[in-house]
Amino acid sequence: METFIGKPIKRREDARFLKGAGTYTDDIKLPKMAHTAFVRSPYAHAKILSIDTSEAGKSEGVIAIYTGSDGCGEYGVPCGWQVDFKNGETMREPKHPLLAKDKVKHLGEAVAIIVADTLAQARDAAELVEVDYEELPAVTDAKAAMEQGAPKVHDEWPDNAAFDWCIGNDRAEVEAALASAHHVTEMEYRNQRLAPNAIEPRSYIADYDVNGDKWTLYTSTQNPHLIRLLLCAFVLGIPEHKVRVVSKDVGGGFGSKIYHYTEEALLTWISREIGRPVKWTSDRSEAFLTDAHGRDHVVKSKMGFDKDGKIVAHLTDEYCAMGAYLSTFAPAVPTYLHGTLFQGVYTTPLIHLNVTAPFTHTVAVDAYRGAGRPEATYLLERMLSKAAKEMDMDPAEIRFKNFIPPFDGVNEQGYQTQVALQYDSGNYEGVLKRGLEMLGYEDFRKEQEAARKDGKLLGVGISTYIEGCGIAPSAVVGSLGARAGLYEVGHVRVQPTGKVQVLTGAHSHGQGHETVFAQFVADKLGIAMDDVEIEHGDTDQVAFGMGTYGSRSLAVGGSAIIKSIDKVLEKGAKIAAHKLEAAEEDLEYAQGKWTVKGTDKSVSFGDVSLTAYVPHDYPEGLEPGLDFSSFYDPTNFTYPFGAHIAVVEVDAETGKTNLKRFVACDDVGNVMNPMIVEGQIHGGVVQGVGQALLEEVVYDEGGQMISGSYMDYAMPRADDVPSIETDRTTTPCPHNPLGVKGAGEAGAIGSTPAVVNAVVDALSHLGVTDIQMPLTPQRVWKAMQAQA
Amino acid sequence: MKINGTYRLNATTDVVWNMLMDPAVLEKVTPGVKQLEPLGEDSYSAISEVRIGPVKGTFEGNLSVRDKVEEESCLLVIDQKSKSGNVIAEIGMQFNALDDGNTEVKYTGEAKMSGMLARMGQRIMSGVVSTLSKQFFQAFEKELETEKS
Repeated sequence: METFIGKPIKRREDARFLKGAGTYTDDIKLPKMAHTAFVRSPYAHAKILSIDTSEAGKSEGVIAIYTGSDGCGEYGVPCGWQVDFKNGETMREPKHPLLAKDKVKHLGEAVAIIVADTLAQARDAAELVEVDYEELPAVTDAKAAMEQGAPKVHDEWPDNAAFDWCIGNDRAEVEAALASAHHVTEMEYRNQRLAPNAIEPRSYIADYDVNGDKWTLYTSTQNPHLIRLLLCAFVLGIPEHKVRVVSKDVGGGFGSKIYHYTEEALLTWISREIGRPVKWTSDRSEAFLTDAHGRDHVVKSKMGFDKDGKIVAHLTDEYCAMGAYLSTFAPAVPTYLHGTLFQGVYTTPLIHLNVTAPFTHTVAVDAYRGAGRPEATYLLERMLSKAAKEMDMDPAEIRFKNFIPPFDGVNEQGYQTQVALQYDSGNYEGVLKRGLEMLGYEDFRKEQEAARKDGKLLGVGISTYIEGCGIAPSAVVGSLGARAGLYEVGHVRVQPTGKVQVLTGAHSHGQGHETVFAQFVADKLGIAMDDVEIEHGDTDQVAFGMGTYGSRSLAVGGSAIIKSIDKVLEKGAKIAAHKLEAAEEDLEYAQGKWTVKGTDKSVSFGDVSLTAYVPHDYPEGLEPGLDFSSFYDPTNFTYPFGAHIAVVEVDAETGKTNLKRFVACDDVGNVMNPMIVEGQIHGGVVQGVGQALLEEVVYDEGGQMISGSYMDYAMPRADDVPSIETDRTTTPCPHNPLGVKGAGEAGAIGSTPAVVNAVVDALSHLGVTDIQMPLTPQRVWKAMQAQA
Repeated sequence: MKINGTYRLNATTDVVWNMLMDPAVLEKVTPGVKQLEPLGEDSYSAISEVRIGPVKGTFEGNLSVRDKVEEESCLLVIDQKSKSGNVIAEIGMQFNALDDGNTEVKYTGEAKMSGMLARMGQRIMSGVVSTLSKQFFQAFEKELETEKS
C-alpha cells in the first residue's frame, strides 16, 4: 500500500491556484454589496480640527459616511499580550479606535470611511471629504522617542514608554564578567523596519443578515477564530455565536495577517448599520501604511570571550518600536519571542537583555516572519563573526568552540537555557559540519585568497540559528502575558463510506496544509490521500482554533489531528472486534484494516466506518458514529535549527553585492513533505536576503513614509538570489507525536546574518567591520571608501 | 527637501523686482497656476494644477512674500494643500546686480511634503522642482522680453 509521509507530493491546492481559481476574499462578490474607501491621515501626528463630509455626502452613489464621532467600536481594538514594566507597573495600553477621533497618531490612520455602491464612487467621494488638521511634531525612531522632550504619542504617558522588560542573569553579574573578559566585542546598529508585503493585500467583507441577526465576516486572515473572539468579545460586544468568520484562500501573511485590524471590526459594524454586505480591499499604498510592520530594533550589545574564544557573557540593550498603538502580538515580539532565543546554539553562561519599548508615531510593529527570532539570530551571528575576526579566529571555529553538545531530548535531557526556555533536542555541530561540507569551505577560503590578489572581493558568511516554534504551551505563554491559549484543534470526521474530512484550526495561507495534513492522515489511517479532505478557515465548520504563525501548524495543529485519529482508531477497534468476534487486544491495525493477529481475518476501515453509521449489528453500549475532535496543548516549544552559509562577491567599483551561493542545512525534525519544506526554506531565505540587502521602511523626520511604493521599497527579485542549495539533518522533536519542529520561519531567521557576514568578510581585509542593513550598493561603497 | 539654484535674467534688478512683485505677472509665469488672488499686502490665495510623477492634483492655499528688502531679497512662503498631500515651502530669493546690467537670481529653501505626495513624490521631487523652476524663469524671461518690446 502506498504511503505518503516523507514524499515530495505535489500540492493539491495548486490545481486551483495555478488556474486562477482560488477564492480570495476580494474574489467574493455578494448581491447588493457596498464598497468603501478610507480617508486617511496625511500626517504622522495631528489634531483633527474639523471634518466636513457635506460635499462627499452629496456625491453620486454614496450610502453613508462615518467618522470617529459616530460611535463605532468605542472600546477600540485590544492587544493580545501584556508585558508589564520591570517595576511591576502595568503595560500601557492605548485605546486603538476604529476611526481616529480627536487626534491622528500615525500616517495613514483612518479618519473617515465612505460607503458607496461602487468602489469608484467611494473613492471619488473620499476625495471630497475636507479634514482640517493642525500638524504636530512626530517621533518615529524608537530611541529618539525615549529622549527628554520627544513629541508625545499619547498625552497620558509623557515618556512614551509602553513597557520595559529584561531577561536572563543578573545584570551586575553579566557586567562583571564582561569587565574581566579576555576580549569584548561590541556592536551598535539598527535592525531595520520592514514591510511584510503579502502578495494579496488585506481584504474584508462583512455581511449582516438581518433576518438571522447573524454576521458573516470574510477576511484574509491567518487566524479566523481569534479574530472572531477579539471582534465579538472585545471590540463590538457581539455574542460570538452570532458571527461566522471565513478565510478561505489567503495569499500570504508572513505575520501581517495574524492581527485583528480596525478595518475588519469597522466593516462588521457598518454592515448592520446599512443592512448590506460591505467590502474593503487595501490597495498597495494602504498596505505599506497600515499593515503591521516588522523588526525596528535599535541595538547596543557587548559579548565577552575567554582567550580560547568561548563566550563568557552577553549584554544587550535595545529600543524596540511599538508604533502608535499596540497590535495583537506586538509586546511579545521583542520580548518573549526574542530574548528567550539569546542563548542561540551556544553555551553562553551569562546573558542579560534589556528592552525598552516606546510608542512611536508610526504604524504598529508586530510579528513578521520569524518575529523576534531573526533579530536575536542577527545579533548573535554578527557578533560571533565579528568577534572571530577581532580574535583572529575562523568564524566556523569560534562556533564549534561554543556549540551546545548534541542531545536528543529522550536519552539526553533537554538543554536548559539562561533565558527561560528548555531546548527539546539538537545537534548544532551536525548542521554546520554538513553546511561547510556542502559549500567546500576550505577550498573556498583558498579561492577567496586568490581572488583578493586579483582585486576581486569575495566573502563567505556563516550563521547557525535556533528558533522557538510550535507556539505554544498555553500555561507557559499565559504566565508570560499572553491573553489566549495557544493549543490547537483537530477534528476528524469519518463519513459512512470511510472517506475522511479533517477540520483544523490551523490556517493555510500558502503553507500547503491541504496536502501535508492529508499525507500524514492518510498514512496513519492506512487509506488513500484522495480519501482525505482538509478543511480550514471557517469558524462555523471548525470548532475552534488558534490559527497559523510561529511555525506551529504541523507541530501543534498536526498533533491535535493525530489525537483525534487515535480516538477514531480506538473506537474503530471496538467495532472491528465486534465484527470479527475477537478481543480488541488481539487486533492490530495496519494498511487500512484491523486484523486478528496471526490470522487472515480482517475488516477494513471502510466497513467499520459504515458500521459506525449503520449500527445494526453493533457493540453494546457504544455510541454510533466515528467523529472526534481534540485539543492539543503542546508541552514545550519546538526548536528547529540550522546552518546557513552565503557566498558573495562585492563589486569594487559600485559596491553592489552579488549573492553567488547560498547553502542551507536545516534541521526541522521529521519531514512530512520534503518539497514543501524546501519551498519554505527557499521563500524564507529570499525574505531574509531582502532584509540583508534591499528592504527598509523609511520615515522622514516629520513621520512621512518615503518608502511607500515598489519604486522606493526594494523587494528581492529572482535575479537577486542564486539557486539555493539545501540539505537537512533530522533530529526529531521528542515531545510531539509526529516528531516535527516546523519550517515556516527558518529561512528568514538564518539567512540575513549569513549574507551580511559574507559582505563584511569580503571587505574585511580593507578594514570594514560592520555595515548597516540593508546593504545597498551605496552603503557598501561608502563603507569601502571610509577605509580607503 | 532642499531647493536651490540660480538663474540669470536679462534685465536690471529694479525691473526684475518690480515684475516679480506684480501678481498679474506671477499668475502668468508660475507653472500650473490657475488663479492668484490678493488676500492682503504681499499675500495671495492660489489655485494651481501640478503633476508630480504619479501624483496629479489641484493645489489650493496661500502664497506670500515676506522679509522684503527692495531689489535685494525676499522670502517666498508657499502653503498649498491637495487631496494627495500638502506642500509647505520657504524659499529665500536673492537678487544680485551683475556688472553687465543683468540680474542673477539665487534661490534657496526647503519644502516639506505630506501624504501621498511625500510617499510617491519625494524620490522625484527634486527633478520636478528644478523643471518647475526652469519653466518659471523661462516664462518670466519671456514676459521680460514682452515688457521691453
